[in-house]
Amino acid sequence: MAHALEAVGITKSYGASPGGVAVLRDLSFHINRNEFVSFVGPSGCGKSTLFNIITGLMPPDMGRILIDGEDTTGRVSPRLGYVLQKDLLFPWRTVLDNVILGLEIRGIPRREARERAHEVLKSYHMDGYEAKFPGQLSGGMRQRVALMRTMITDPEIILMDESYKALDYPLKIALESELLDVVKKAGKTVIFITHDIEEAVTLSDRVYVMKARPGEIIHEIDIDLGTDSPSIPERRMSPHFNTYYEMIWKKIGIAPMAA
Amino acid sequence: MTRQTETPASPVAASRRISAESRRKALLISLQLGLVIAALLAWEFGARSGAISRFLFASPLMIWDVLVQRSGTGELLRDVRATSVETLLGYALGAIGGSVLGLGLWYSRFVSDFAAPFIAAVGSIPVLAVAPMTIIWFGTGLTAKVVIVAFSCVVVSLTTSYRGAMRTDPDFINLMRSFNAGRSAIFFKLIVPAAMPWVLQGLKLNVGFALIGAIVAEYISSDAGVGHMILLGSSNFSMNIVLAGILLVMVMMLVFNFCIGLLERAILRWERK
Ligand SMILES: Nc1ncnc2c1ncn2[C@@H]1O[C@H](COP(=O)(O)OP(=O)(O)OP(=O)(O)O)[C@@H](O)[C@H]1O
Ligand SMILES: [Mg+2]
Repeated sequence: MAHALEAVGITKSYGASPGGVAVLRDLSFHINRNEFVSFVGPSGCGKSTLFNIITGLMPPDMGRILIDGEDTTGRVSPRLGYVLQKDLLFPWRTVLDNVILGLEIRGIPRREARERAHEVLKSYHMDGYEAKFPGQLSGGMRQRVALMRTMITDPEIILMDESYKALDYPLKIALESELLDVVKKAGKTVIFITHDIEEAVTLSDRVYVMKARPGEIIHEIDIDLGTDSPSIPERRMSPHFNTYYEMIWKKIGIAPMAA
Repeated sequence: MTRQTETPASPVAASRRISAESRRKALLISLQLGLVIAALLAWEFGARSGAISRFLFASPLMIWDVLVQRSGTGELLRDVRATSVETLLGYALGAIGGSVLGLGLWYSRFVSDFAAPFIAAVGSIPVLAVAPMTIIWFGTGLTAKVVIVAFSCVVVSLTTSYRGAMRTDPDFINLMRSFNAGRSAIFFKLIVPAAMPWVLQGLKLNVGFALIGAIVAEYISSDAGVGHMILLGSSNFSMNIVLAGILLVMVMMLVFNFCIGLLERAILRWERK
């Protein structure tokens, strides 16, 4: 069976190709089904560029993206949904109408879409917020609504780029615990992009470590914290945590930092 | 997952803040009203005592008499109606049509780049300069006036709504693309609502321009309308009629602005929440 997602020889530079700055050079990796994989690397190593290439919003100069064995390079796939740091909720739509955006675009009847959204909101304990506007919600709630909007379209793979960067620590822990719980239960594959080593270790089954200029994968680490619990504090306190943290820190620490 | 609870500021503090705010407002309004009344009284008594020339400045009661007399003969209603019809039709054509065109230009970068210098050229023509020509082309009836009003609004609405459409955050557009949205879904579900505050900005600016257009059109040729009334008054040196006309224009402006305000509140409902 094909990998959930596979990248082969991804290369990208900005500006005129020869002489342009190489941002990503010959990245190859694979993500297994139901796996939670993080990409961690210093600022400017090309993580967001990689994000744009995986989503198909930007074509790479070279290389291919395969989702479930199908070549989706340079085009968006309904099998993949994403959540960014910016929640990107439409301020003129209510919470309910934001959640159904993807369904609406796919032509699912409004009634049915709304029914499904009610269910989802309930399962996230956010029933009662249907008629609120995003401007009335806290940052954490907005980010959760963004996750619901992605989850409701039922993508096989969820791609996240620094999704919880702007949140304060306790809220981040709460939302990440919820994320792990939700994706494990729903059997989703997650690709999580971050510069935060702690975040990468606590959440992931596997971590790719990147370096900058040009962006390359320099290391791959399987993570086993010895627990299946989605609770972030519990995972964080695993006796294995420090070992992994140190391993990754050493890789990133010796890589030249982006200015 | 723990539920977030919003903690409102203490209700006592809130109501105290509101009452201080409303007291400030009441003070402002009574001062403003006081100034207007004092000025009107000074004007009236000045005119009666001869300190202010009635020939040049009329007086508040003389203006009032004009309004009462003309509403008795039905001229007032006829003039206000004529100007309102010209303004509303021209506004619908120019301001609303211009907004639709401006948003539509989002569809094609090529067309909008191509059209840009022509739009700027048309926008640089003062309405006064084209008004006489419009009369020659469209006659002295309603059509010419509607065209003049439309001309005086179209470019402002077109450029503000185009700018609003182009300012849409590309991350939102990408999100729509990630849901496989086509260009028209992106346009109707994202671009149009996202640009709405700019569209409304253009619509608000244009209330004034539309009314100016209508008055200018009536100055060039007319047999009714508030502009007609002002023109006639000034050619007879009847300052009371001229000033009554100006007062009518101000009131019409207030009413139109109020209506646009209502529209804005209805459309930008989400912004106040
Ligand atoms: N549109 C662009 N044109 C030119 N250079 C770009 C563009 N986007 C990004 N870059 C450059 O490419 C490099 C990688 O950018 P990218 O945003 O992918 O990094 P990142 O790892 O996501 O960084 P961060 O952790 O700060 O989000 C950076 O040096 C950046 O300045
Ligand atoms: Mg980034």
